[in-house]
Amino acid sequence: MCCCFFLSFFLSFFKFIEQFYSYIVFQNIRKLDGGNGPSRFRVMMSDGRHTLSSFMLSTQLNHMAEENILAPNCICNLKRHVTNILKDGRRVVIILEIDVIKPAKDVAGRIGDPTPYTEGKSLKYTSLILQQCSVNTLMKGLNRDFGKKAPSVMPNTPGGSSKVVPIASLNPYQSKWTIRARVTNKSSIRTWSNSRGDGKLFSMEIVDESGEIRVTGFNQEVDKFYSLIEAGKVYYISKGSLKLANKQYTSVKNDYEMTLNGESTIIPCEDSCDVPMVQCDFVSIGDLENRDKDAIVDVIGVCKSVDDISRLTTKSNREVSKRTLSLMDMSGKVVTVTLWGEEAEKFDGSSQPVVAIKGAKLSDFGGRSLSASFSSTLMINPDIPEAYKLRGWYDKEGHAMDGQSLTEVKGGSGGGNTNWKSLSDVKTEHLGHGDKADYYTCVATIVFLRKENCLYQACPSQDCNKKVVDQQNGMFRCEKCDKEFPNFKHRLILSANIADYGDNQWVTCFQESAEAILGQNAAYLGQLKDSNEAAFDEVFQHANFNTFVFRNRVKLETYNDESRIKATVMDVKPVDHKEYSKRLILNIRKLAANH
Amino acid sequence: MASLLDASKPRINCSMLSQHIGRGVCFVGRVEKVHPTGKTFSVSDGEGKSATVELNEPLEEELSGIVEVIGMVSSKGVITTTTYNILREDKGIPFDLELYNEALKVIHDFPQHYPFEVAASG
Repeated sequence: MCCCFFLSFFLSFFKFIEQFYSYIVFQNIRKLDGGNGPSRFRVMMSDGRHTLSSFMLSTQLNHMAEENILAPNCICNLKRHVTNILKDGRRVVIILEIDVIKPAKDVAGRIGDPTPYTEGKSLKYTSLILQQCSVNTLMKGLNRDFGKKAPSVMPNTPGGSSKVVPIASLNPYQSKWTIRARVTNKSSIRTWSNSRGDGKLFSMEIVDESGEIRVTGFNQEVDKFYSLIEAGKVYYISKGSLKLANKQYTSVKNDYEMTLNGESTIIPCEDSCDVPMVQCDFVSIGDLENRDKDAIVDVIGVCKSVDDISRLTTKSNREVSKRTLSLMDMSGKVVTVTLWGEEAEKFDGSSQPVVAIKGAKLSDFGGRSLSASFSSTLMINPDIPEAYKLRGWYDKEGHAMDGQSLTEVKGGSGGGNTNWKSLSDVKTEHLGHGDKADYYTCVATIVFLRKENCLYQACPSQDCNKKVVDQQNGMFRCEKCDKEFPNFKHRLILSANIADYGDNQWVTCFQESAEAILGQNAAYLGQLKDSNEAAFDEVFQHANFNTFVFRNRVKLETYNDESRIKATVMDVKPVDHKEYSKRLILNIRKLAANH
Repeated sequence: MASLLDASKPRINCSMLSQHIGRGVCFVGRVEKVHPTGKTFSVSDGEGKSATVELNEPLEEELSGIVEVIGMVSSKGVITTTTYNILREDKGIPFDLELYNEALKVIHDFPQHYPFEVAASG
């Protein structure tokens, strides 16, 4: 990638020398034309965990860049360097001596998934992770043949003499700057009216190779710029005002935010292919449990399944569309994401696309779940390295995984989030011992059915299943309905023992699951019990030793000083042998690989 | 060949034929071409490879779809059939030959966990 920046660079103040060995991966390089004097090369490095672009090659090493010795992805040993602190407090590492220990052509692709390193942490690289990294740029048409091609000429910035600076360098103390950035998100115009008068504003998020920032325009700037700006396009923006950011409402990573003023200019940029499409700091779905509720996060995952659209009426009597989907990533965890409005309506989850959401809101609904708010950006199959990685992983192994959902859906599995356990797992993992009930799914065989007391007399009212008291006068009393009835309905509570290769479990099956297991409905069974005991027994004989997929709920219950695990069958399904086989084969291979 | 039916007949695919020459096997595959004489036909396994099956008597019925052949592997890698089963496609869940092949690989990769030989002779 050949991009030249004109950058005024003031090196001064403290220079302290640290010497340490560090294996880092050379990621990316830029040539900076300093006007008079030799070229300077700015370099982005990664240690497999983080990237940092504040490296400069000392001029005596310029030849390494010019001769393509330093090429993206090569693994280097940084032997000597000097750290300078700039006027605004940022640090720059000047590379004095660096060895390439593995050339780029011998490195097969990305190492780890490095994210931009945030300032404030110690710059000492103590982790020596030799992994493979790809260039952490989010660009199309990567041209990594730096040095072989003449650096492209900086397009003439409007106003001639302005220098294009990176977004990351913007601060309140410099006003004459121009940036070149892509608009990733443009809000609608909001108006307000209060005691001080009326006003309107719009906001947008813009991104370039160095970072992102939130921009707001008020009143006259709305008129000037709103219609000019299109999300997804690149613009030269200059002379906005910078101030400290209000981080509460946005996940944009920048200490500052920008406000457009009377001197600001926004001009479309034609040559925009180098500017990244989006800047995201993705959180692994597995990590969402550790985040606070109401946090604003960026996530990316494969849409495993999507539910049908539903419509709700809000408190203000507005109808709004809603759709939920399950998102899974390489942590093996699944989370439910809710989309609203037009995004919900337009969403197409067929072919299990990679979905990325910037600025999703994390909630503790059902444990942990995500919602795409009006300020979130939803991307389907984005053209970024993380998406390709996910696609490759999913096609290879992810598609056969059920994943563990962070969002508990009551009443049966919602969209493929199954928590498969063996019965011995349930005991060794002490499921049900926590504050809340635990749910799990297992394949098990019925080994015993208690036919005594499996039926009870229930209130004949539609929605009441309470046991009725036989008044012995032909009437049956329901305490809940506070009524007497001349009849009752039979209902099942079936106690059963189910077993797999490892363990067994006593479970209680209520009406639906009991009927599914016995293959007869409660009313018929109630009749049969009184009229034909042999036939009644035979129903149970026939039902024994059948294998099903059980979805069970376990909870520790205390009853008169005694604590016992109670397991209830929520759902019974026949075994899907194909799916079961696939899962078993996958688990076997995984077990084998870990030995 | 009653003795063949008593002995263990490991399930194999085409790539395992050469290791089972002279032994009884069980081969599941998709019928490809039936010879006009009806005495021989070709089958393909879950990996797409083909093998030849020979019968003692010509076929009396139409053969298509997935078939399970029990027989012996000749020195030329041809399966001489003792008996065969057609896994009908119109009944039950369709047979997934590729998945079967994956299971086959597991059985052969971990013989210590799938001791069919012991089970058969015991």
